[in-house]
Amino acid sequence: MQERVLDCLGEPCPVPLVKAQRALEDLEAGDILIVQIDHSCAMKSLPEWARDAGHNVEIEEIDNGEWEVVIEKS
Amino acid sequence: MIDGESRMWKKLSDALGRNEYYLLWLKDAWPYLTGALLLSILQIATMAVAGNPWGISGAITNWGAWTIEALGGSVEHWYYFSSESARAVLDRGILQDPVSIRNFGIIAGALFSVLIASSFKLKKIRTGKQVTAAVLGGLLMGYGMRVALGCNIGAFYSGISVLSLAGWVYGVFLLLGAIVGGKLLVRFFM
Repeated sequence: MQERVLDCLGEPCPVPLVKAQRALEDLEAGDILIVQIDHSCAMKSLPEWARDAGHNVEIEEIDNGEWEVVIEKS
Repeated sequence: MIDGESRMWKKLSDALGRNEYYLLWLKDAWPYLTGALLLSILQIATMAVAGNPWGISGAITNWGAWTIEALGGSVEHWYYFSSESARAVLDRGILQDPVSIRNFGIIAGALFSVLIASSFKLKKIRTGKQVTAAVLGGLLMGYGMRVALGCNIGAFYSGISVLSLAGWVYGVFLLLGAIVGGKLLVRFFM
């Protein structure tokens, strides 16, 4: 099982979503992708897409206006 | 005393942070439907009060004119500002311009909403690409909103809300532009 961190801090929507989709393609089922974001709109689009695609998603608030979206590839 | 006070504030903010109505109304993003309904109701209210449909970028253009005039320049001979109505708005000044005041309100409201959700963050510029994208995007939006006589609020949203065909035409090309822009973004900026 692999864990990868994707730094998307400072990137506006939809850049984190597209980057996460690309990163997830390289991972195997069960692998974890942690996407760091600070754009609140990506907080909606990214988990929404990942859940629709059938992955397990958790959101952690790291700091004011900063989140980690943890995606477990299924 | 100071310690006791800060402990009290910490306790209060911790309790607030767990409150389900705080989370529902102030912390988490509202559903799209709630946002759409509120926007519709409030834009009718602002039209009733200000006398014109909701718009944003027209005032920003006037901010540019006021800035030039404050620096000693003149926009008198610019075609865009040559009409009597445009001149009248400029002569009344920024504090007598409901569109500018409403823009200030939008900025203040947006700031309030991120502060109350404790999501305020000053973001650092991290790459040259972000600067290029921001400057290019700003120039294109600024130019586009003037030649189209409105932005996605004034020309698109308000256009449709007052049953103008122009709003729908704007919408179709906005969608086409967004599709092309999205493809370019993925191709060149990622």
